[in-house]
Amino acid sequence: MRVPPKFTQSLAVLVLGAATLLTVVVLVFIIAFVLVKGLPGVTWEFLSSPPKDMGKAGGILPTLVGTVLLPLLAIAIALPLGVGTAVYLTEYTRENPLTRALRFGTDCLAGIPSIIFGLFGFIFFVVMLKMGWCLLSGALTLAIMVLPTIIRTSEEAIRSVPNAYREVSFSLGATRWETVLKVVLPNALPGIVTGVILGIGRSIGETAAVIFTAGSSLRMPLSVFDSVRTMSVHFYILAREGISNENAYATAAVLIISVVLVNLAAYSMMHRFIAKRSK
Amino acid sequence: MSGSPNTVKIAVKSFRVFQGKEDALRGITLEIAANRILGIIGPAGAGKTTFLRALNRLNDLTPDTHVEGQVLLDGADIYHPAFDVVALRKRVGMLFALPVALPMSIAENVAYGPRLSGLRKRARLEEIVERSLKAAFLWDEVKDRLQMSGLRLSGGQQQRLCLARVLAMEELEVILLDEPCSGLDPISTAKIEDALAVLKERYTIILVTNNTKQAARVADDTAFFLQGELIEHGLTAKLFTVPDDKRTNDYVTGRFG
Repeated sequence: MRVPPKFTQSLAVLVLGAATLLTVVVLVFIIAFVLVKGLPGVTWEFLSSPPKDMGKAGGILPTLVGTVLLPLLAIAIALPLGVGTAVYLTEYTRENPLTRALRFGTDCLAGIPSIIFGLFGFIFFVVMLKMGWCLLSGALTLAIMVLPTIIRTSEEAIRSVPNAYREVSFSLGATRWETVLKVVLPNALPGIVTGVILGIGRSIGETAAVIFTAGSSLRMPLSVFDSVRTMSVHFYILAREGISNENAYATAAVLIISVVLVNLAAYSMMHRFIAKRSK
Repeated sequence: MSGSPNTVKIAVKSFRVFQGKEDALRGITLEIAANRILGIIGPAGAGKTTFLRALNRLNDLTPDTHVEGQVLLDGADIYHPAFDVVALRKRVGMLFALPVALPMSIAENVAYGPRLSGLRKRARLEEIVERSLKAAFLWDEVKDRLQMSGLRLSGGQQQRLCLARVLAMEELEVILLDEPCSGLDPISTAKIEDALAVLKERYTIILVTNNTKQAARVADDTAFFLQGELIEHGLTAKLFTVPDDKRTNDYVTGRFG
């Protein structure tokens, strides 16, 4: 017996709708839970003063600074490398076994758990290169971690630039590099920014790789060779060691709000850029 | 710019193009006169566009393409390893079938070529933009909004913007047009054709068209391509009235294609 199409259609709507609803509810619940528990503790004083007593009292200023600096530095390192690789793979080489191997490699790299990167960063940067636990070790490790994401999103973005633009540019006497610089990259920018946002999101939330490489000092970092503690690490230590649940939740609330702010800033920058070009 | 009428601007000798395993052009020999409009007609798949793209080496960008024979521009073989491709494309400009305004302002679109050639002086660039847009019969429509994105122009205007962008190149000697009016309305088409009639005094023009009437209207000489071969080449008036080859006759009288 055949099930009437009308019935399967209603069933599909129901199942898909339920899946969407469940996803949204879980997401909203988590965010609301953290904000409700954490927001009461977020005061100006909490944001602007250093922690006291291992974080039992006081604020989170140094970790706030660490959370801003670490991902910024990581992206500053990963962006030129990642976009450069993507440009090379898409514009300067034709598909061949080597590019396929490179792409396979980046895909594998993207799936490796962050703690492995942390361990590598610890052994290579902290111990072998004798850099110690510091901002730079952490940023380099995070840069390697987000590199695959930036390479793949940039590659997709560059591929989606219409070939006709390239042909026009070449036909007007541009070299490949001039074409990349003036036509390809400006048009791939929105996609590249998406990769950067994903990368920032991943580095802000990263804990395992950061503890191993940037350390967990509560002092204010004064140079890239100082150890820092990010908010994620701070939250992890406060909660795990049972130091202060209130401050842990307040830190988490600040963290969530920062991620939202970073995304909003990046998107508005991107939209302003696009609007300027198509006005 | 150079040469008096009837000097040969481009000489094509036993020229073949292979794309993968199939031969797209099978030995073309053709002399293209300076300061005239050569129309290239023929049914789809005749190799017209491949031929055109070979003249400024845009075929280089297509994977698995290689060529045999010679294309001489003012006597120099453009496929010689020592020939500078970038310089070639500044001398031999191209207008594509689909108008492609780059996503930047109208003025920036026109100034793209000169800027690549290293021109930075503002006043000089503005002068070039104005001159080129006038030559492409677009100036009056856009002179008050040069900073607007080129993408916001209509299709017909974009195609004239593309023409202006080609004309802005100071090194320009030859203009290649690949069915430039295929997506345009009759009025826009007429404007492009008017522009070509003026431009041939300075440039050598090669026009690929699917529209035999357009070739009859604007071309001084016409070449008929069929399945990668040049069937016939001569004065437009002769080719359309008393062609030597039966296949040419069949095509221009609309019996096939």
